[in-house]
Amino acid sequence: MSRILTIAQSEFTTLVKTKAFLFGIILMPVLMVGFFFFMSFAQRHVDVETRPFAVIDHTGVLYDAVRTSAETRNADSIDNGTRTGPEFVPSAVTVAGRSADEVKVELSTRIRDKDLFAFVEIPAEVLTATGSDVPPIRYYSESTSYEPLPNWLRTTLNEEITKRRFDAAGIDQAMITRLNTRTPLSTFGLVERATDGSVKEAQEVDEIARMIVPFFFLFLMFMTVMTAAQQLLNAIIEEKMSKISEVLLGSVTPFQLLMGKLLGVVGVALLLTLVYFSGGVYALMSSGRWDLFNPALVGWFVVFVVCAALLYGSLFLALGSACSDLKDAQSMMQPAMILIMLPYLGSFIVIQNPESSLAVGMSFFPTMTPFTMMLRIAMPPGPPMWQVLVSVLGLVACTALFVWAASRIFRVGILMQGKAPTLPELVKWIGK
Amino acid sequence: MSSSVAIAVSGISKRFGDHQAVNNVSIEVPAGSIYGFIGPNGSGKTTTIRMIMNILVPDSGYIHVLGKASAADVRDDVGYLPEERGLYKKMTVRRVLRYYGQLKGKSAHEIDTAMKDWLGRLQLTDWMDKRVDQLSKGMAQKVQFIASVVSQPKLLILDEPFSGLDPVNAEALKDAVLEMRRRGTTIVFSTHDMSAAERMCERIFMIFRGKKVLDGTLEEIQSEYGHDTARVRTSGGAGILAGMASVDGVNDHGNYQDVKLNGDAQAFLQQLVQKTTVQQFEIRRPSLHDIFVRIARPTEDELRNETGGVR
Repeated sequence: MSRILTIAQSEFTTLVKTKAFLFGIILMPVLMVGFFFFMSFAQRHVDVETRPFAVIDHTGVLYDAVRTSAETRNADSIDNGTRTGPEFVPSAVTVAGRSADEVKVELSTRIRDKDLFAFVEIPAEVLTATGSDVPPIRYYSESTSYEPLPNWLRTTLNEEITKRRFDAAGIDQAMITRLNTRTPLSTFGLVERATDGSVKEAQEVDEIARMIVPFFFLFLMFMTVMTAAQQLLNAIIEEKMSKISEVLLGSVTPFQLLMGKLLGVVGVALLLTLVYFSGGVYALMSSGRWDLFNPALVGWFVVFVVCAALLYGSLFLALGSACSDLKDAQSMMQPAMILIMLPYLGSFIVIQNPESSLAVGMSFFPTMTPFTMMLRIAMPPGPPMWQVLVSVLGLVACTALFVWAASRIFRVGILMQGKAPTLPELVKWIGK
Repeated sequence: MSSSVAIAVSGISKRFGDHQAVNNVSIEVPAGSIYGFIGPNGSGKTTTIRMIMNILVPDSGYIHVLGKASAADVRDDVGYLPEERGLYKKMTVRRVLRYYGQLKGKSAHEIDTAMKDWLGRLQLTDWMDKRVDQLSKGMAQKVQFIASVVSQPKLLILDEPFSGLDPVNAEALKDAVLEMRRRGTTIVFSTHDMSAAERMCERIFMIFRGKKVLDGTLEEIQSEYGHDTARVRTSGGAGILAGMASVDGVNDHGNYQDVKLNGDAQAFLQQLVQKTTVQQFEIRRPSLHDIFVRIARPTEDELRNETGGVR
């Protein structure tokens, strides 16, 4: 046992001291925050162009509304003297005896000459027609994928048209809006009677608790597994390529070597998880959502994340020991990655309906248990306790089986050089 | 097994697929001796060593190491330098050596004392806190040797310890091996360097095509191969020896030739004097090198097949 710990400790300290690890710990959150900042910055700054457009208004009354609305909008999108959105500049075009088609050809030419960005034709019938007879407002532009202008026009014109329809019918639109106010529906858990006989009001279910917490655990679980898997594969292949394994096998058994590496790397992955977990807890505290912290959930998470890291870690260690170089490893990775991706895809089914028979079935399948059962526990009301216990037993048994099989493969693979074995050969090694 | 025997191997065999790597080999390594494994590449040396180290399991036969039925039971007392060896490139020399020592169950204090002693002997003291990837190849090889002795083992197994070393480093390493011997450690090493084997080993074992072909002291081996070699230096050179009836084989060194004789040496000398001026004539025991080449030289059938293959 002491040899296993010696190897684990060496593996752990070596990894933790690498620049890649420190970088990973700091860089990942920085990148994520940076990404969000960039996205919001980009959204505000990507389009500050002037967009001149022409309006052929066959109704003769809507253009003014467009112009006033554009002026308000342009004024609103100036923040501290800086423009944060596009400037829409409308101009009215009169047909004046010419054919509409001729006017449209002329406007199209102006767009090609970059004199205009777009033009819009409002049919006269939009104010009078109803139902399916309403003709569309026609928007013409070279940049047909540009959405802000047509979206804004659709909203602005529809508001104005509706207002005018109401006026024409002699109805007060404000009154209709008031009468149409929707009544919200809130979702609650169940009401309980406390020990003192008083009624304990049900907690209102909120969306953050329903979605964010399970997703956060799912994210942590994947990160741990991926970190451990990647590191183990790299570590073992580096060791094989630099011929260190046989030196070590003069001092320890293959099983001790495998367990030492597994524990060391899983320890690093768990440390990384702890860092992010603390970040999550800090976020809860600083946002005043301490009520979302559930110690039982954290306890289950620890059980599942440790098992998942060991299970997938031993799988990748076995595969790594069978490869002689990184190229072999990449082709070996694919089937193993599918094994990780399955519960990831499965988790979407679980989120939608954690009690469906498919979700229950998946949470009993050992390689999927850590992800799917964790999600089910994190989503109220959670699965019955017997299901959790049975799935944990299955998971622990499967983890032990994986570690055992990995040590069998590792024993043969670690001294192998040259061609990577096929999957059937690997299975044969286990039975050897 | 008595305590005077460090390794007792009895009838071990190992087969990889269709290839019989080791075939019914038995060896006894006396405690406190230096035992040399020789043999051409691919003859089964490393496989035998790996079986002794319990890294490979023999298909049949028994191995006792330091009185125990398996090297696994005495792992901490056995130092091992495999042929395929490496060091963690990013670690410092100190950390690597400590790590290897700890894996043998030694305390940090014991390791540090032994480490400083060995680094001093091999002129590496200044490199103790340098990273492994800053060392030259020769230095790295010396560090690998130290890694195998830092735990002060009772038995030291070295697979090709001198390969790839320059003469100065090879000498330093030979001295280090002899120092281990002085400390009472039993040493087994495999080598291609016949002169090193001749100078250092008390007993020599040769494996060829998986089978034992030689096993004994140098004295025993040489007398088995007879006093049938003459070293001659003549004005006629190697050409003059061709076609002489008493000559079985010639190993031409350029300035002189080692001649394997099939008859009386005196009669051969008389024939030679008649043909050319003899500057030097010395009757010798065959060197280990000669014996090695005699055993491992391809047979005529094999040579024929080889040329046939090329054609």
